Amino acid sequence: MAQIIVVTSGKGGVGKTTTSASIAVGLAERGFKTVVIDFDIGLRNLDLIMGCERRVIYDFVNVIRAEASLNQALIRDKHVTNLYILPASQTRDKDALTVEGVGAVLDELRKTFDYIVCDSPAGIERGATLAMYFADHAVVVTNPEVSSVRDSDRMLGLLSSKTKRAEEGREPITEHLLLTRYCPKRVAKGDMLSIGDVNEILAIPLLGVIPESTAVLRASNSGDPVILDKESDAGQAYSDAILRFLGQDIPFRFTEEKAHWLKRLFSMKEREAV
Amino acid sequence: MSATSLVVNRHTSFQFKTSFAPCTIMQISRYDLDVLPRELMDIISRAPNFFLGAPIVIDLEKVNTLGEIDFVRLKAILVAQNLVPMGVRNGSPEQLEAAASQGLPALSIGKLSADTPKKKIEKSATRLVTSPIRSGMQVYAKEGDLVVTAPVSAGAELLSDGHIHVYGPLRGRAMAGVQGNRNARIFCRTLEAELISIAGYYLTKEDMQPMPESHGMIQVYLDDKQLRIETIS
Repeated sequence: MAQIIVVTSGKGGVGKTTTSASIAVGLAERGFKTVVIDFDIGLRNLDLIMGCERRVIYDFVNVIRAEASLNQALIRDKHVTNLYILPASQTRDKDALTVEGVGAVLDELRKTFDYIVCDSPAGIERGATLAMYFADHAVVVTNPEVSSVRDSDRMLGLLSSKTKRAEEGREPITEHLLLTRYCPKRVAKGDMLSIGDVNEILAIPLLGVIPESTAVLRASNSGDPVILDKESDAGQAYSDAILRFLGQDIPFRFTEEKAHWLKRLFSMKEREAV
Repeated sequence: MSATSLVVNRHTSFQFKTSFAPCTIMQISRYDLDVLPRELMDIISRAPNFFLGAPIVIDLEKVNTLGEIDFVRLKAILVAQNLVPMGVRNGSPEQLEAAASQGLPALSIGKLSADTPKKKIEKSATRLVTSPIRSGMQVYAKEGDLVVTAPVSAGAELLSDGHIHVYGPLRGRAMAGVQGNRNARIFCRTLEAELISIAGYYLTKEDMQPMPESHGMIQVYLDDKQLRIETIS
């Protein structure tokens, strides 16, 4: 049975699309047949992050309106096998999405895919509510900063009340927290909320902590999801998050400030002295 | 004698078990054994399966001032219709004694008398919430109290016509006695609320004195026109 994952946040610019792309690639790398859908109708971005913008012919709205078949609209990813992208329409607006239309497309995808990743737009309007409506899992992307945390809290409220599972009184959506743009140095200085601070307010299981990294911007501009950059800290942190999602117990990395080499040298000397 | 001595041990040949078997109460409103067989037959013919072998308790409440009742004949009429008379209730002491001598013991099952109605409370007016109340959510306990056992986030709103009890962190707004109940109170463990209000009188976070870390509960109540915040130790 296919699992539907929504990547959501409420706030814009926190890394939803980057996360959707990396989660989709990560799941496909581990052999799961995966499709990632861009729900941000009118502000299409996922195709750029996935590097397939030149191959978009039909889109999600075309499929909903039966102007194209699903197979015509699905784009095969160039990085990994087992991965497909369903791009958003750039010329329409979010009212083009309907519950019935989205439900029908997801039902069709469920037949052949293991994971369906829904990249939610920012806000709490139609696009965002429809992206989460059918979900089984929610990855709530949050920056360690008060306004992002409050927006995520609001999304968690909607996830527990305005989704199909909630309406049907079934088992609630599985919630995962993904903390992005985390900077241990600024946390140590008190400029940024710590993992503990965020957890105290949101109180849901932590899926991953992605460090602030130059690799993310580089990956976006080149159209290669950052999880493919195996050398980078952000890429490794996303890989860890995928393994945790699949049930493995992986220790958290990149959450402590790296001590300067001189400092480390001194602390070694101190230890010797004792 | 201790209570445990009532428990039958595993070596006995029987066990006592509590059970609630359905039982039909036949309330006699007019004592007329001449018309009873025909009336009974008429009713039973409409639902023969329901009445077949049904245990019957005869209620004498409406006829317990009449005096003597012919239990031999009454019992025979019921048995003739394939009913199983179990006993009688609500009769006069003389009636109950006469019935007992015919193998119909006095029972006190079901409702004892129309004079002592026991009102069953199906639903309490208190509203209980056990899952987190997130930013943007609003919970209103109409005509009752509100009890929350989970965190209440900043930007969430609690409203109650009665008291509000919060056992998780309270970071949102809490408004008790919103219909004007000045005796309503707010009980919480930490004072991090954005706003607290009782019967329209309110304090914002800015107006609240920081409370020392306490292990007890905090209560908020209305003293004339001023909200008071106290710890309960």
